Amino acid sequence: MKITEEIKISDNGFVFNSKTGDSFNVNPFGLELLKYIAEDKDFDSIKDEILGKYDVDSLTLEKDFYEFCALLKHHQIVAQGDPMEFK
Amino acid sequence: MSKLAYEKPVISKITAGVPNKFGLPVKQKIISEIDGIPVSELIKDYGSPVFVISEKTVRGTFAEARQAFETRYPKVQFAWSYKTNYLDAVCSIFHSEGSWAEVVSGFEFEKALLLGVNGSNIIFNGPEKSEEDLTLAINHDACIHIDHFDELYLLIETTRKLDKKARVAIRVNLDAGIYPIWDRFGFNYENGEAWNAINRIMLAENLDLIGLHTHIGTYIMASSAYAVAATKLSNLFMATYRKFDHWIKYIDLGGGFASKNTLKGAYMPGAETCPSFDEYAEAISNAIISSEIPHENLPVLFLETGRALIDDAGYLLTTVLANKRSNSGRRTMVIDAGVNLLFTSFWYNLGIYPAKEASDYSEETTIYGPLCMNIDVIREAINFPHVQTGDRLVIERVGAYNMTQWMQFITYRPNVVLIDSEGKTHVIRKKEDIETFKSFESNPKK
Ligand SMILES: Cc1ncc(COP(=O)(O)O)c(C=O)c1O
Repeated sequence: MKITEEIKISDNGFVFNSKTGDSFNVNPFGLELLKYIAEDKDFDSIKDEILGKYDVDSLTLEKDFYEFCALLKHHQIVAQGDPMEFK
Repeated sequence: MSKLAYEKPVISKITAGVPNKFGLPVKQKIISEIDGIPVSELIKDYGSPVFVISEKTVRGTFAEARQAFETRYPKVQFAWSYKTNYLDAVCSIFHSEGSWAEVVSGFEFEKALLLGVNGSNIIFNGPEKSEEDLTLAINHDACIHIDHFDELYLLIETTRKLDKKARVAIRVNLDAGIYPIWDRFGFNYENGEAWNAINRIMLAENLDLIGLHTHIGTYIMASSAYAVAATKLSNLFMATYRKFDHWIKYIDLGGGFASKNTLKGAYMPGAETCPSFDEYAEAISNAIISSEIPHENLPVLFLETGRALIDDAGYLLTTVLANKRSNSGRRTMVIDAGVNLLFTSFWYNLGIYPAKEASDYSEETTIYGPLCMNIDVIREAINFPHVQTGDRLVIERVGAYNMTQWMQFITYRPNVVLIDSEGKTHVIRKKEDIETFKSFESNPKK
């Protein structure tokens, strides 16, 4: 999962897509996830860090993480891979 | 080291400066308890979903309505509209407050008798009255509100067979300046049909004309429409006196007062736009008192108020089953109460609230019921905070029409619980189970 080139992310949770002109608000935890994703980390390594730091169980985190990723794809913030390519 | 509080990650698109319909977002309302009993406890004891009715609210609302009318008009009588909510316990509360019964079928008539209502305190409305129903009504001296000429002649015939008199009123339909005009029930005022019916009744030896009735529609937002209706009935009242030297006993203005629910497509919340009981009472009382009717002959004013008296007292407690995303990225949620239980969700944008403090982040959401059917949508679009599966929600103002128009469809109908004036809970209609259905069916193939 790669954040597309046109995306600019500011430290206060403002996300701008210079290609479409859309802008977004992301909450602090969403912003943190975006930074991990930008560093090319996969869910398993993100999970360990988050579980150590936040008061959340791994199932809730997993559900929320993948829902968040689906939204990122929907808003074209991350590149949509081939949908038929299952891993 | 203690861990940081977790908040679900959310990202939302910024849409250029279109303000929220009702101004800036306000702090999310929550309903954590009903009459002091925690929602969590009610669900633990009675399951989810569960309807809950507050006796305190029923009596409080009734007192408000009665006061509005009794302070403006000398003789007022409410008749509880059974079809709005005919659970025995609910009807009994209204009867204990002095309400008569307003019924529209033989079934509802039997129910009122079983609850101990004196037959002469039953108003029998509606277009569906069989000879058997009329016989029951005549034998109990009920007030029979005639809907059409065929019924009038059937009634005359039935009184002859029984060799008894019937106490009757006619239902009148009229143009009260609102749309739609409900002209399918009763005799029309403007074209003279109502006056013809009165003449026919006055000539029938077995019929005693005691009332004039209209029900101009439901969820009427203009109190002025009632003034028009009351004036027209007053005209018929005086015309009957002039021609026949007969004083009719009551004028019945039916139901139709708006409840505080918000109609679909309405711009403002119903709680802020619907007239108060005082406004309706003012319009109706002024119209009758300022008509030609002499003070000493003022008729009793009957009201068959339904939804406005019971909507606020009913709650449906429900549980979040799933949070989903649609293909278009829209947030959707599935709850365990569907349109099978919430007939009024077809009319209203029902108020739905979390039972406990939820996330500060909210998002436009579609709320689905649990039925495997596309029509099962409780709210198309509601700004709703993020909640977890298993969280409890409360749907408010569901006391009217849902517990009578609900369907047994796909699943069982749930418990209905009354919280009495002392704060004690009682199951007043028990949840259906497979035995309920076994008792209805027989299977020649097994
Ligand atoms: C004859 C009659 N009276 C009273 C009512 C109660 O109406 P509402 O719930 O609008 O007050 C109805 C409902 O349709 C009705 O048909």
